[in-house]
Amino acid sequence: MATRRCVLKCGSKANFFHLPKEEHLKTKWLQFTIPQKYSPSLVLCSRHFEDDCFLNAIKLGFASRLILKEGSVPSVFASASSSVSQPMDGPMRVLVTGGSGLVGRAIERVVKEGERREGEEWIFLSSKDANLVSAEETRSVFQKHRPTHVIHLAAMVGGLYRNMRQNLDFWRDNVHINDNVLYMSQEFGVVKVVSCLSTCVFPDKTTYPIDETMMHNGAPHESNYGYAYAKRMIDVHNRACFQQYGLRYTAVIPTNIFGPHDNYNIEDCHVMPGLVHKTYLAKKEGKPLEVWGSGRALRQFIYSVDLARLFVWVLREYDEVEPIIASVGEEDELTIKDAVDAVVEGFGFKGEVIYDTSKSDGQIKKTASNAKLRKYLPDFKFTPFKAAVKETCDWLTANYDIIRK
Amino acid sequence: MRVLVTGGSGLVGRAIERVVKEGEGREGEEWIFLSSKDANLMSAEETRSVFQKHRPTHVIHLAAMVGGLFRNMRQNLDFWRNNVFINDNVLQTAHEFGVVKVVSCLSTCIFPDKTTYPIDETMIHNGPPHESNFGYAYAKRMIDVHNRACCQQYGRRYTAVIPTNVFGPHDNFNIEDGHVLPGLIHKTYMAKKEGKALQVWGSGRPLRQFIYSLDLARLFLWVLRDYDEVEPIILSVGEEDELSIKDAVNAVVEGMEFKGDVIYDTSKADGQFKKTASNAKLRKYLPDFKFTPFKAAMKETCDWFEANYDIARK
Repeated sequence: MATRRCVLKCGSKANFFHLPKEEHLKTKWLQFTIPQKYSPSLVLCSRHFEDDCFLNAIKLGFASRLILKEGSVPSVFASASSSVSQPMDGPMRVLVTGGSGLVGRAIERVVKEGERREGEEWIFLSSKDANLVSAEETRSVFQKHRPTHVIHLAAMVGGLYRNMRQNLDFWRDNVHINDNVLYMSQEFGVVKVVSCLSTCVFPDKTTYPIDETMMHNGAPHESNYGYAYAKRMIDVHNRACFQQYGLRYTAVIPTNIFGPHDNYNIEDCHVMPGLVHKTYLAKKEGKPLEVWGSGRALRQFIYSVDLARLFVWVLREYDEVEPIIASVGEEDELTIKDAVDAVVEGFGFKGEVIYDTSKSDGQIKKTASNAKLRKYLPDFKFTPFKAAVKETCDWLTANYDIIRK
Repeated sequence: MRVLVTGGSGLVGRAIERVVKEGEGREGEEWIFLSSKDANLMSAEETRSVFQKHRPTHVIHLAAMVGGLFRNMRQNLDFWRNNVFINDNVLQTAHEFGVVKVVSCLSTCIFPDKTTYPIDETMIHNGPPHESNFGYAYAKRMIDVHNRACCQQYGRRYTAVIPTNVFGPHDNFNIEDGHVLPGLIHKTYMAKKEGKALQVWGSGRPLRQFIYSLDLARLFLWVLRDYDEVEPIILSVGEEDELSIKDAVNAVVEGMEFKGDVIYDTSKADGQFKKTASNAKLRKYLPDFKFTPFKAAMKETCDWFEANYDIARK
């Protein structure tokens, strides 16, 4: 007898049900199966029926034969209890897009230093390997590597001024990159994709602390709405993909990341790499360190190496489609001045530190809650801030010539 | 002006075609109405070809992947992706070909699910849309994001309109999939033909603002020619002209000259009781615009449906 398949292409191996004979009921089943092709012998598997449609009360996953009550109508489009993806042959093959960036390099390091498991293959891509804005090039790279998992970090990013001037490019290029990676992943049967969002895409007008449920509750900040909406749409894509196909693609939302291999361009970069670079130059040139703002603004910082460990955990164990904030807790919020002091100590800088209070502080507080992370990993230890900053300063000093600046 | 109208064979496209033909078109203007037969706008290459062929100076962008409640609920990914492709292709190609103005079509159904009323043009992005069609809703919202970003980066003044409930000839009259008025018209036609009662779902009490496709078409032309903002504009009758579903049923019954029983099946959901949109912005620009009286518009639509039953989309 030919192997039967659920008409919704589930991959179930048992518990199939034929179309009912009664016309009215049959019509309802067929409505449910649209747009799949009609065949009089099509079958639906048990995943698409609510539990109370079965005569035998307990729904067991494998061998038990379930008996469907007469008059039952399917109503569950995608299985909520298990991933509707191809069975995996062998260990993970993980493709990391944006592999040469701040987070990508950190993941490469933690994988090398112990996180890799027997037989796993980790491939780190950069823009040299493929232009992910192009669907064809993305397809080629998936064809070449045939990953089972993807960590998707690649994006068009930029500092405040570039964002403000090019919102259209930031919107379009990132939507294309994200759609290409997420869609090819689906086409190539990738079991799981973990993408990277950011607390900067959250609503501009909001209450604090922000949490994972609040991302779409209002418009993002004017300065980078193109980038922000493109990132938010990763979450929309993930939810729609789950609803239509049962795939559990998800995303991580870090706060302020810092570490080696960052973008240290003083015009363009974020606050920590900017401080690190400026202090290096101040020390080298025997000048004072000029810090913009009063130093009173509060931020949550996460070391790239800690974030990398969390990315690997999310890839392996985090089963939700809703994203997860990856950050130290509210109790570990630091002022910019705390950060300055740590960088000064990290370099052993002895010169003057001047706070230019004519420059804007930006937001005073943008506290994110890490309650969800703590629910899953109550004992996760973040690298102590000063030690992480010291490592970053040492790395910059040793690699100054090759840093992105 | 050489105007390209995507989605030209649909409810709104056909209405624009008619008003252009019946006097709204101007000397020397060229109007080209595209349908999916002419190009698959989900493909960047096919979109480019159609722009190369026609070289429009203006675009009215109505084409979209649309569907009823059930199809949306099941295929949110397809509704999201396909509409983002269509919209990105049309808007980006228009920009590359130096199109002076694009007017796209949004909908009040993409607004935030949790909101205060009446809704206005500033509120589109203030919260998530309804769960049932979030793919479609976000794709439409992103037209506004694209327009704003394109203005900010290149100075283009592409914009969009936001109609409320549109009705008229050439609609999708499929009872399962169609919207409330075409559904009612088709059901009344069938009830009349089969000598049965007309069954209306719900209590008939919810309120809606309806806009006749021909009135919408005239307003589209005004937006194309004279509305200069990038922020979209709601096109609707005012709050004072909100009608109950029962009012609509009565107008359809009168329009079809239906003499049978009308039964309200109150076991079926009413949907939202009120989803009032403000047309204050429209009234600021066009205080004297006259909408076709509802009963007359309904009669025209019913007459069209009866005369064209065989070719109507259903």
